[in-house]
Amino acid sequence: MATAHQAKLAVFTAIGALLEDKSLSIADDTTLLGGDSIIDSMKLVELCLALEDHATELGFEFDWTSEAALSKSRSMFRTAGSLAAEFCQQMDSKT
Amino acid sequence: MIVVTGASRGLGKAICDRLLSKGIAVFGLARQVEGLCFPSMACDVSSYDEVKAVVQRLKADGASISGLINAAGIASMNLAVTTPSSVSQNIIHTNLLGTIYCCQLIVPLMLRNKSGSVINFSTIAVALGLKGESIYAASKAGVEGFTRSFAREVAEFNVTVNCIAPGPINTNLLKGVTAAQIQNIVSQQIIPKQFTSDAVSDLVELLLDARSRSLSGEVLHVGGV
Repeated sequence: MATAHQAKLAVFTAIGALLEDKSLSIADDTTLLGGDSIIDSMKLVELCLALEDHATELGFEFDWTSEAALSKSRSMFRTAGSLAAEFCQQMDSKT
Repeated sequence: MIVVTGASRGLGKAICDRLLSKGIAVFGLARQVEGLCFPSMACDVSSYDEVKAVVQRLKADGASISGLINAAGIASMNLAVTTPSSVSQNIIHTNLLGTIYCCQLIVPLMLRNKSGSVINFSTIAVALGLKGESIYAASKAGVEGFTRSFAREVAEFNVTVNCIAPGPINTNLLKGVTAAQIQNIVSQQIIPKQFTSDAVSDLVELLLDARSRSLSGEVLHVGGV
């Protein structure tokens, strides 16, 4: 089973793969929603699909329509760190 | 493969039969699928979890989905003030939420391929504001609004989303509607004749065809209004 660190790295790598500017570095506080986001809504959907595929490889189902995706203040998508945390949490609870 | 909801009877069944006759693979969803002569799975589209189970099976089977036709629907011809709340909830859950759930969960399978066509179903009752169909019309007006917005959300993935709004077609949904009432509705169409499920299936074929890729977010009225 992947460690939390490996899973987080995978999430950050998936985000990075969608960026046109490959010089941008991904950090916990990198914004994924709103005007300051480094990706648009289409890329966000592509990110979800990529993470869904990665989760399948790791043996669990990544649910990106969960309640945790709802509000901007609590959304798993608010930052790269919050998304990685939710991904790891789902991995831990489902594997 | 095209996923068709409401596949066991009415318009959904007629659409399945048409697509199969053209050699197009169909995966039917309905609450009761016993006796269907094509791949199918029991599913109440008003249940998010049941739709999710369908997607899990499609993924497990490695199915390539190129279209979704949301034909499942229920109606209850009644004045709003005399309609029990349970009936109102059933209509909204099946017609509106059922369409939304199927789009939310099944369309991502098309987004992966950056190609696909979604066909939702409305009704002439929305455009004409038909008396005695207010709750049914409300559920379908919701479908039309969802169709237009959702079409924009998936446009960049080359997925089109359109709506077909038939007039009175001879299916179970017309049970209890008199011939005079049907004639009154038909007379308000631009082409004042009652169409059959064949006309609807023709439009479905058109919207599934790559040549209609410039159409999205549209409501196509059978017979015109």
